[in-house]
Amino acid sequence: MTAPSISLDELERDALTEIVNIGVSRAASNLRKMIGGEVLLSVPSIDVVSQRRAARLISEREVSELIAVRQDFEGAFSGRALLIFPETNSLELVRAVTGGELSVQEVLEMEVEALAETGNVILNSCLATMANMLKRSLNMTVPEVLRGTGNSLFEVDETTSSEGLVLFLYIDFAVRKHDIRGYIAMIMDLPSLATLKDLLDEFIARVVGEDG
Amino acid sequence: MTITVLIVDDSKLARIVAGKALAELQPDWQKIEASSAADALTLIASQPVDVALIDFNMVDKDGLELAEELRVSHPDLPMAIITANIQDEVIARARAVGATFVPKPVTADGLQGFLSGAALRLRATKA
Amino acid sequence: MAESSYGGDQLRAILAAAGASGTWDWDIEADRLAVDQHFAELYGLTEPLNLAALPTATFFKAIHPDDRARMRIAVAGMVAGAEQFSKEFRVVTANGVNLWVHGRGQTHFDESDKPVRFTGLLVDVTARKRTEERLRVAQSAGGIGTFEYSDGFATATVSHEFCRLLGLYPASILPVPTINSVLKMKDGPCLIPESHHGGPPESLDGTFCIVRSEDGAERWIARRGEIVHEGPDGGYRLIGVIYDVTESKAQESELRELNDTLEARVENAISERSQVEEALRQAQKMEAVGNLTGGIAHDFNNLLTIILGNVDTAIRRLDGDTDPRVKRALDNAQKGAERAASLTQRLLAFSRRQPLTPKSIDAGRLLAGMSDLLTRSITESIAIQVTASDDLWVVEADPHQLENVILNLAVNARDAMQDGGALTIDARNVTVGPTHEHEVPAGSYVAVTVRDTGIGMSATTVAQVFDPFFTTKEVGKGTGLGLSMVYGFVKQSGGYIYIDSAPGFGTIVTLYLPRQFVASDEDAEDIPAAERGKPTETILVVEDDEDVRAYTVGIVRELGYRVIEAHDGASALKLFNGDQAISLLLTDVVMPRMSGSELAEAARRRQPELRVLYTSGYTRDAIMRDGKLETGVDLLSKPFTYTTLANKLRDVLDRSESNIVA
Repeated sequence: MTAPSISLDELERDALTEIVNIGVSRAASNLRKMIGGEVLLSVPSIDVVSQRRAARLISEREVSELIAVRQDFEGAFSGRALLIFPETNSLELVRAVTGGELSVQEVLEMEVEALAETGNVILNSCLATMANMLKRSLNMTVPEVLRGTGNSLFEVDETTSSEGLVLFLYIDFAVRKHDIRGYIAMIMDLPSLATLKDLLDEFIARVVGEDG
Repeated sequence: MTITVLIVDDSKLARIVAGKALAELQPDWQKIEASSAADALTLIASQPVDVALIDFNMVDKDGLELAEELRVSHPDLPMAIITANIQDEVIARARAVGATFVPKPVTADGLQGFLSGAALRLRATKA
Repeated sequence: MAESSYGGDQLRAILAAAGASGTWDWDIEADRLAVDQHFAELYGLTEPLNLAALPTATFFKAIHPDDRARMRIAVAGMVAGAEQFSKEFRVVTANGVNLWVHGRGQTHFDESDKPVRFTGLLVDVTARKRTEERLRVAQSAGGIGTFEYSDGFATATVSHEFCRLLGLYPASILPVPTINSVLKMKDGPCLIPESHHGGPPESLDGTFCIVRSEDGAERWIARRGEIVHEGPDGGYRLIGVIYDVTESKAQESELRELNDTLEARVENAISERSQVEEALRQAQKMEAVGNLTGGIAHDFNNLLTIILGNVDTAIRRLDGDTDPRVKRALDNAQKGAERAASLTQRLLAFSRRQPLTPKSIDAGRLLAGMSDLLTRSITESIAIQVTASDDLWVVEADPHQLENVILNLAVNARDAMQDGGALTIDARNVTVGPTHEHEVPAGSYVAVTVRDTGIGMSATTVAQVFDPFFTTKEVGKGTGLGLSMVYGFVKQSGGYIYIDSAPGFGTIVTLYLPRQFVASDEDAEDIPAAERGKPTETILVVEDDEDVRAYTVGIVRELGYRVIEAHDGASALKLFNGDQAISLLLTDVVMPRMSGSELAEAARRRQPELRVLYTSGYTRDAIMRDGKLETGVDLLSKPFTYTTLANKLRDVLDRSESNIVA
């Protein structure tokens, strides 16, 4: 069975980019509140690629092991969102969000937890904002902290079909003051993509109005 | 008489953050912590609780479910649902159960409105 | 109301004042748009309007229809809480002209994170757009890739050409580690230096060696660009280009190598040249000396022939009644003359004018045959050992000369061991490899070694040892001709000689004679008894030297042949007139006007079955190749004895028809 080639046209891409922008802005603003430093965001990169390729796009970007907070969402459209850090950075983040309240020992003990909560705030605010814009609700799972490579985070192995396309969304963020950087990545499978397309069209219609 | 605030969140970090904001606004209020809905119910059965800050996204029973239960057993308890999940639906459900919605991350600014309201209500009831 | 960054406002104000752009202020709550004069101008808002309170739809009115939907979406995003707005779009002026503008703005939030204002700056970028278009074309045509990196980020914005140059998957955003991973030197400077590697670089100018990701090719990439410092906390942006400089780098390095090695190569060339010059000089010297000695030897030869011949004749005329003292005297005279003859032989050999009669010989057999001769020449205080391998290869050399050579070397060895010692002569097969040991070219040789445990020679001596008349022996002892003769023999035989010696360590002389790949055709060494001729056999003697001719004619007649003579080629030819059949032409090789071979050729035209025997003491002639004769050409070297002449005549005459060379 060949995968239907679903793609987003230019306007739909623009719309999705905007929506993601809004979501990520909110997330960045929250991260800013947690850390107290300037958070920079890149322009979101949006591609429809195979799951394998998505995994590779992440693993190619980093040499070291990755640590990620993963949250699945479902509703009108489903998928997986990841907040990814190179492992070397994660403690820096924990230190930043605990605001120097904890001892070094406590920071180490709390690492996973702190990451989970940070991920929770960021991913939730991002996804929730997006859901609001698209006027649909999503159910989110409790965030999980994982360690691994691009492949393991995206659950790609030899059995993964190279045809299964996903929407791969990727935003780079950096916290200059604390030398923290990471990515927000989202993947959505094709059926969800079809629904998403419809929702985007609705959004566009709302926004563009009679101008069309 | 000291006011006791119950903070329910499965994340220790979140509890710390909420505690900090609380301490900033109301330094002499007491706080007790629960890491799950079940934990919270146990605590509230054993001691008086005046205010509740409840995380929405928890395993087993989520914050809104807990809030619904508490609304029944403690009709006048000032409750705030704390979450990053700022979906309209979540906000609506919080309102429906008579709880304030406070987005995460919790800051003094963000918590201020709710706490002032709660303080007012408590003074009224205790008076 | 939350304010945007102070810097941004200030910048806007400055730019607005400078007339470079227009500003807008969108009140989200009140749904009202405020713009300044410049914005109004850019947008072509000509009607009298309250610029401070326009309907928000105005923002979209002048926008080009193709860009309008996109801009609506973008603004919707801002109004809903997105933070940064940076878009390029076209505005259609009142005259219908398209202007490209760039809008840069941000949203301002209240305490509860509600977006309340959307403000921004509008800049006319029409000119820049055109430049960019040209740049984009130039990029792909010129192989230039662009990049932009803000410090703190893990990614950089790049062009497709950038990716292509580095062999990476084309994308508009690449992670910095991926970009840097193509560098060949992993711990050298980074192509895109990240802030946590220590601040912005001094300059972006540089060249890097990369290994392209997709095909592993090594290329050199040049980087140029600017560093834009941003903000008070040391933030920076890198904007630059890369392009491939592998070709010029290769040429550069080739040039550098040529330059570096220039000196060395010049030195090498000079030293090679000097060596060649030296060798040439040496060879020329030898040649000159050879010429000299050859001339003398030739004349001597002729004189000796006369002496020997006459003494010989006298001896044969003696009978039993003669005073024994007379016989003794004549014997002595003969011996003396013979020794003199052998001396001139050696001289001639050295001058390489002694034609050799090379044969296929077994050097081992030759050595064995010499052993008693050696023992007689060497005193008892010296131990002699003569050995040869069993399956010794065949070499092509003149056996008499080889004997002389070995004898010579043995005598030198004896002289070096005044107080006794050991002399070893040995012959074995040697294959010389490409390393050219002993300066001998690669090949198969029979190596004849003469080894002594004598006083040895210094390096300077070794260098001069082949010079004729060079001698380290006292006056009167030895003529100094020995080794030069050896050298001459070796060279004419196509071989090589190597001397290994050091004072106090004795000497090893090694002769390398090239292996001959045919069976040995050694004939019996015994000198046959003189054989007489028949009167029916007519010998024509041609010799320009009167005395030599007389002597020769005399012997031939004595041997019983019929003899006719001529003093040059022309007169000799006249004798081939059909009046008589000439059995054999005995002619000197080198004669004025017509040479022996020319005569022979002409004579054979008249008498095809004519046998020819050449004589010569002075060979520099067309028929001589490297001192050897052409196969089938017979040569009798001067001076020759009665017996030698008799045998050779008989030999040539008796040879079967098929051996005659036409």
